[in-house]
Amino acid sequence: MASRKEGSGAAGGGFGSAKGKGKAAAAGDSAVKQVQIDGLVVLKIIKHYQEEGQGNEVVQGVLLGLVVDDRLEITNCFPFPQHTEDDADFDEVQYQMEMMRSLRHVNIDHLHVGWYQSTYYGSFVTRALLDSQFSYQHAIEESVVLIYDPIKTAQGSLSLKAYRLTPKLMEVCKEKDFSPEALKKANIAYENMFEEVPIVIKNSYLINVMLWELEKKSAVADRHELLSLASSNHLGKSLQLLMDRVDEMSQDIVKYNTYLRNVSKQQQQKHQQRRQQENIQRQSRGEPPLPEEDINKLFKPPQPPPRMESLLIAGQINTYCQNIKEFNAQNLGKLFMAQALQDYNN
Amino acid sequence: MSRFFTTGSDSESESSASGDETAPKAAGGPYSKPLLLSEDEEDTKRVVRSARDKRYEELTNLIRSIRNAMKIRDVSRCLEEFELLGRAWAKAKGVVDREGVPRFYLRILADLEDYLNELWEDKEGKKKMNKNNAKALSSLRQKLRKYNRDYEGQIAAYRQNPEQSDEDEEKSRRDSEGSGSSSGAEDDAGNFLKRRERDEPRSRYKESESEPESESDEDWGDSASESDSESDEDDGKFTSLASKFLKKDEERRGAERRREEKAKKKLERKSRREEEEEEEEGGEWEKVKGGVPLIKEKPKMFAKGTEITVGLVMKKLNEILQARGKKGTDRAAQIELLQHLVAVAHEHQLGVPLELKIKFNIVASLYDYNPNLAAYMKAELWQRCLGCIEELLELLFAHPEIFVGENVLEESENLSNPEQPFRVRGCVLTLVERMDEEFTKIMQNTDPHSQEYVEHLKDEARVCGIIGRLQRYLQAKGSPEELCRVYLLRVLHTYYKFDYAAARRRQVRPRPQEKEDEEKEKQEEEEEEEDSEALMERLCRFVYAKDRTDRIRTCAILCHIYHHALHSRWYRARDLMLMSHLQDNIQHADPPVQILYNRTMVQLGICAFRQGLIKDAHNALLDIQSSGRAKELLGQGLLLRSLQERNAEQEKVEKRRQVPFHMHVNLELLECVYLVAAMLLEIPYMAAHEFDARRRMISKQFHHQLRVGERQPLLGPPESMREHVVAASKAMKTGDWRRCHRFVVNEKMNGKVWDLFPEADQVRAMLVRKIQEESLRTYLFTYSSVYDSISMETLAAMFELDLPTVHGIISKMIINEELMASLDQPTATVMMHRTEPTATQNLALQLAEKLGNLVENNERVLDQRQGAYGGYFRDQKDGGYRKGDGYLRRGGFRQERGNY
Repeated sequence: MASRKEGSGAAGGGFGSAKGKGKAAAAGDSAVKQVQIDGLVVLKIIKHYQEEGQGNEVVQGVLLGLVVDDRLEITNCFPFPQHTEDDADFDEVQYQMEMMRSLRHVNIDHLHVGWYQSTYYGSFVTRALLDSQFSYQHAIEESVVLIYDPIKTAQGSLSLKAYRLTPKLMEVCKEKDFSPEALKKANIAYENMFEEVPIVIKNSYLINVMLWELEKKSAVADRHELLSLASSNHLGKSLQLLMDRVDEMSQDIVKYNTYLRNVSKQQQQKHQQRRQQENIQRQSRGEPPLPEEDINKLFKPPQPPPRMESLLIAGQINTYCQNIKEFNAQNLGKLFMAQALQDYNN
Repeated sequence: MSRFFTTGSDSESESSASGDETAPKAAGGPYSKPLLLSEDEEDTKRVVRSARDKRYEELTNLIRSIRNAMKIRDVSRCLEEFELLGRAWAKAKGVVDREGVPRFYLRILADLEDYLNELWEDKEGKKKMNKNNAKALSSLRQKLRKYNRDYEGQIAAYRQNPEQSDEDEEKSRRDSEGSGSSSGAEDDAGNFLKRRERDEPRSRYKESESEPESESDEDWGDSASESDSESDEDDGKFTSLASKFLKKDEERRGAERRREEKAKKKLERKSRREEEEEEEEGGEWEKVKGGVPLIKEKPKMFAKGTEITVGLVMKKLNEILQARGKKGTDRAAQIELLQHLVAVAHEHQLGVPLELKIKFNIVASLYDYNPNLAAYMKAELWQRCLGCIEELLELLFAHPEIFVGENVLEESENLSNPEQPFRVRGCVLTLVERMDEEFTKIMQNTDPHSQEYVEHLKDEARVCGIIGRLQRYLQAKGSPEELCRVYLLRVLHTYYKFDYAAARRRQVRPRPQEKEDEEKEKQEEEEEEEDSEALMERLCRFVYAKDRTDRIRTCAILCHIYHHALHSRWYRARDLMLMSHLQDNIQHADPPVQILYNRTMVQLGICAFRQGLIKDAHNALLDIQSSGRAKELLGQGLLLRSLQERNAEQEKVEKRRQVPFHMHVNLELLECVYLVAAMLLEIPYMAAHEFDARRRMISKQFHHQLRVGERQPLLGPPESMREHVVAASKAMKTGDWRRCHRFVVNEKMNGKVWDLFPEADQVRAMLVRKIQEESLRTYLFTYSSVYDSISMETLAAMFELDLPTVHGIISKMIINEELMASLDQPTATVMMHRTEPTATQNLALQLAEKLGNLVENNERVLDQRQGAYGGYFRDQKDGGYRKGDGYLRRGGFRQERGNY
């Protein structure tokens, strides 16, 4: 239902983008500036989740399409089969190749252009996603990941977002060095890890015509979920998740803190030694102090904790916050509306 | 003195030489009967052969062959023999050390020396000698010289008066001239005849001298003086003499040997005993029954015809006791012997002290019967042991004048002299303590579900009786320390028993308007049998006051508390526990005391529960229950654990610590009490703190049970006690007290748990009441957000409580700020204030808290950063950081920021 609305919107305005358009500012130097999705793909993704995903389980699949200039057109997709424990030796790559070959036989675009994944209350900023998107983007430069949020969709507005790793993050991932210094050098923060690519949903004119036809026949009452005032459940869940992440973040910081303390302790020791040496030398000879680099080799510096985790957590927290903010803004609007309505009625 | 006797003795001694098996019959040698001393007897008893005899005989044989060799001038043979002699001498060293160098030995040494010198001088003869002999001569001469150096003085002394032994010399010459094969025993015999004549007057003299002395003294003094006086007699005589005065020792050895044989010949014991009895009746001669040639081997208690005296019996006793603990000693036979000895002593009216003494030893050897510490007494032995101790106590009661004590020295014992106070070594208390241990062991090792156990348990009364009598005995005579010990024994047998009689009396007492007679009867009853409470009080108080070893006091206190707790005297039990400060240092006590402590704590907890003091009950039981090892901690069974954690040795030790089954605390009752207590505390607490992030569990174990219950895929009606409690908890969570009550108190639970209490109905009533109250609280916590106001009357009806109680509970909740509400007096309603945050608000609060933490942590990182890259004042700042706490640190940070 929602997708139809989006689709109709797109049809009406030609290239009407989905939400989150303003956030695609960082996509300037990227290979892909826009993602154009077929209505078929959207429906297939939704169907896939409804059939197989439940609760916080995640469904994934492959996107197929082609690249036109700086626009990525996604024309088809197929799901990854759900894993069970007993077929551990199932060959995913083999399956994908088979699938694509078969699709090619029926004259469907068979170019691998990315993958999609469902999400539970927006908790998708994870290491797993980062790793697989990195390998995709490493192999196929234009590939994107589509994140589909079934819960938000169920509340009345389709939530489908396309993400790519920023070139900076690609660099860092290529280096595989997540030490604090490397991240600092790369000048990476949670805000510029992912870039969102604007999405356009496009249908053929025939489909658009049919949608218009259907629109006339359907009743308005179908869209009541948009106006639902119940909010506490969703909000509570989001808060809970947010809290978990905050906890993780706290732990991470503590870890980092310990590391820093260890480092400083060691440095201080070194420093004291050096100072003593220097003082003795200066007193005896009056010479300038010796270079200090060689002492670094004597002490093995403590292993710095990888900082990518905390970046990801920060990104995740950010996502949650955005979600909650957005959700609450809408809800507040609804509440005010309801109040106004009630006042008017009275 | 006839030849007949000597030959008789001769043959016997020979047979003894041929094998070790001989059993010399001469016990209680002639000197123990000084007045009856006669030669006949002497000679008939001249049979004793010992290692000493053998050694001396060996020596004389060797000496004879040396002399033979000397005569035929066979020096090489001389050398050989001399070497053998040296070796034999070394073997006989032990004997010689005791008695001095025998004369015959010195003589051969002197003669040999003379002979060698002679040969050496005789150049002619030397030349004629063959090579071997010449060589042997020189080496023998050297050796002898070296050897004689050790005995220089004695040899010189000998040379001065060799005449003394002329007579014997002659005889020995005669012997050596005679057949070479003539046995040394014959030699002995010959000597004997001669010696007798000279011996007699001297021994006579001695007798008169030593008569006033105590008998044993005489024995030893006699032999000692003998050895002194006879040491300057010649060799041939010496052998016999030695064997003669060795007799005393010989006797003991003989006795030992006899015992060994006894072990071998258990089957014959009976007939033998008959014979022994006959002997004791005074038969001069042993009777050979059925012509069995047992005479030689047949052991006997006392020599026939000997007059049984205290000293004699004592000696016998010592003999028997010396075999104690030795390998190969038949312990059963030993016990038999001792019992026999008692009978003898009794028969001959040797006095109570002696009997006492022997009985002490019987009990001790009964205990010794099992060499293994872990093994327990057999029922038969146990019964005998009990009987024996009872007899012992009876004797002691009958003769209070006898002083019995551990500290009486062996020497200062007085068993027979009626003028002085009797003193007997031995400690009844130790025996009884040991008996108690054995009893515990027997109970530990019996299957508690068998009829056998019941049978054994019947002995408990006897054990208690013995302890009681001992207590009475010691109250009259014992030292405070001993009294403490026996009191502790008594306490240990009393504390775990519920005094039903007292409980009944207490129930009756509140109604004083009963008939006078009954009252009287009751009073009599009370006098008759002391209330166990009063008894415990009396005993323990004495121990508290008098005990100097900490352990007894600790045990007494614990038992006292246990007893109080068992009889629901909660406050006294608790106060005693708190006053004793045992909680602080019980971990330093030994495991049995710790087990007792655990038992006491558990009993205390159960007592608190019965009194409706749920919180106290929970606290008392928490330690034991939370470990999940209650069984082990109470010494009521071993947990199944892997062998790595515990080897066989440890397991044995642990097994020995187990509490006998009849003293067990019911574990299911314990767990149920704990879980119900935890439920009554935890469920309202959970309801009150549903959204509190920092909520702590009161009872981990209870939560564990709840989780187990939740994990069940299919929830049937509860079966086990735990399931019942879990089901009850679930009901209580929703404030449904009726269901909760149904789950906690029903037929199953009654059978399993509640009926185990002495006053089960009271406990059940208490439980219902508690469940109602706590359900009310839970209900208010859980559903207060739904209400604007609740009528207290409705609540009272819902929970079947009376209005004041409801009012009280709600007021308490309001005061404790658990319930945000106020009471509206006129309408008797509770007005809710609705200050509790909603779920979302709670979450937001939690989040805010967490964020606060996060920020703090983050700032710390920033601090570090500042510290690490902060320029030239880095060092001093780091120093400051380390000392300061978090707050100061942040303060410092801000200041520094200001500096930038």
